[in-house]
Amino acid sequence: MNIAQQIINGVVLGSGYACIALGWTILLGVARLVNFAHGQLYMLGAFVTWYAITRVGLPYPLAILVAMIVLGVIGLLMQSAMMRLVMTQNLTSLMIVTLGLGYVLQGGSALVFGGNPQTLPGTLARAKLEIGSLWFTWQDVLVLVVTLFLYGAVWLFTQRTRFGSVIRAVAEDPKLSELFGINAKVVYLGVFVFECSAVALGAALVAPRSPILTSMGFNEVIMTFVVVVLGGIGSIGGALAAGLGLGLFTAFFGAFVAPAYTTAAAFALLLALLVIRPAGLATK
Amino acid sequence: MTAIESPRPASIPLLRVAAVTALVATGFFLPRLLGGTSVAYSTLTTIAIFAVMCYGADIVLSYLGEVSLGHTVFWAIGGYAAANLSAKYGLNGWVTAAATIALCLAAAAFLGAVTLRTREFVFSLVTYAAAVVAFEIAFNWDAVGGSDGIVGIPPLKLPMLVTNFSGAMQEDLWPVAFVLLLLTLAFIARFRRSRLGTTALMVQMNPALAASLGVDPRRIRLAVFVISAPITGLAGWLYAYQRAYVGPDMFESYFLVMMLTAIVLVGRRILLGPLIGTALLITQQNLLSLGGDWNKIVLGSVLALVLIFWPAGLVGLYRRIARTP
Repeated sequence: MNIAQQIINGVVLGSGYACIALGWTILLGVARLVNFAHGQLYMLGAFVTWYAITRVGLPYPLAILVAMIVLGVIGLLMQSAMMRLVMTQNLTSLMIVTLGLGYVLQGGSALVFGGNPQTLPGTLARAKLEIGSLWFTWQDVLVLVVTLFLYGAVWLFTQRTRFGSVIRAVAEDPKLSELFGINAKVVYLGVFVFECSAVALGAALVAPRSPILTSMGFNEVIMTFVVVVLGGIGSIGGALAAGLGLGLFTAFFGAFVAPAYTTAAAFALLLALLVIRPAGLATK
Repeated sequence: MTAIESPRPASIPLLRVAAVTALVATGFFLPRLLGGTSVAYSTLTTIAIFAVMCYGADIVLSYLGEVSLGHTVFWAIGGYAAANLSAKYGLNGWVTAAATIALCLAAAAFLGAVTLRTREFVFSLVTYAAAVVAFEIAFNWDAVGGSDGIVGIPPLKLPMLVTNFSGAMQEDLWPVAFVLLLLTLAFIARFRRSRLGTTALMVQMNPALAASLGVDPRRIRLAVFVISAPITGLAGWLYAYQRAYVGPDMFESYFLVMMLTAIVLVGRRILLGPLIGTALLITQQNLLSLGGDWNKIVLGSVLALVLIFWPAGLVGLYRRIARTP
């Protein structure tokens, strides 16, 4: 029975990883951009949700919306500031700039939200569902359903619509796409705003499982890296599979080996893969 | 300005030697010139230690063009080696320094070897992940300190042939920090002119030319990454003695952001750049501090703003102002 419970835990964890990693997958895969402030954006998304629920008194769904809008605006500001670096594809500088901005977000959030751990009330994280000896919460079901829906929607959007091909054209060659009358700057802005809103949504859904702190975000960012690289950079289906696989791996490793070293184990998995298949699992 | 075309006034070596000697002498007596207070000593010692820390990351960033986000690992290896070996086994500073160098070389060789085939941002991702994992290990493994770290590191002992140096006070550590900084600067200056340094720059600036000359970029990358590690490691080694405490906070992103900011602030590939950058940043944090969270905002903003508006750093800004009358 323990194994069945661990499978449930793995799917629960994995859908969370996949949900948080979605924005990064799109940003990296579709627009070839990187964002090292991802962990801090996750933290901020969780705290904006918390603020909207406890201080403003909004219901949970509205608070999620507020977090997505606030983070979207922050994404718009960040990307506008970085636009010159983005257009010249200066990835090295871009990496460092996002790292610096993440540090600013961390300091700013500590000033605004204080240094104490908080919990998100009013969510479904305490609505337990028991089947025999197995259990999970309605929040877990919500995360899984939203994640599957989002991955499906994003896959359809990028692969099957005209806008999707426009974004992919910009990723291939921003200069060339501008010759065809595409405004690459708007596309980059849109993708970055999506990344920030998606991580806000992920944070609002996943963060209620545990107390939140303004210093958190590192664990989420590492898991996101592992998901994105394992899944094959930019592969949407690969990221979903990698997220769920990583969740199962983490659940079993935590249950049967050593819960304190799960991040280290996930990282070892990543290293092993990089040595065997540098381009990720999804490539042929 | 690249290292290759940097001015080399070989015709007037005497003048150059005199200028360098004067600069070194002034540097050594700087704490006394600034009043000789313990604040002056501790601030300048911190600047020297952090500058050495930055030079390790600087080699990789400036000459390889890669962003290593894992240099906090080497920083912490230095700190933990010094703390464990001196507090538990009573070993002197030479042994702990040698252990630091050996462990850093081994860790860098491993990390460099597994990331050998990775491209630019994947390299950064993996080095960043390595730092987080190393933190997790240091935090959970009680044998090396665990979450509490190691308190009560004994004063630095460096027994030499005649004297028996012991650095118990901030004032005593300053000469060690200063010599370490000088050695680092000499090493970097030598590296810039070395075959490895110039080849690394060629691989970064003109990979096609490097390939046509039969250079293996992977070997160059690995070599530069490996030699950069002990530099940052030795800074962490001295930092442990300065603070007399080592803990998992050595992995904090503060040190990483500090390294990157100090490197880009003045301008890449300038010998004294990281030192001046470190001096400016530490002066702000120690003497003009606005409180922890505000200092974070200042440091992160400086890093982002410099790269967005003046990618060539303060030197580039100065040149631009000097050119437009």
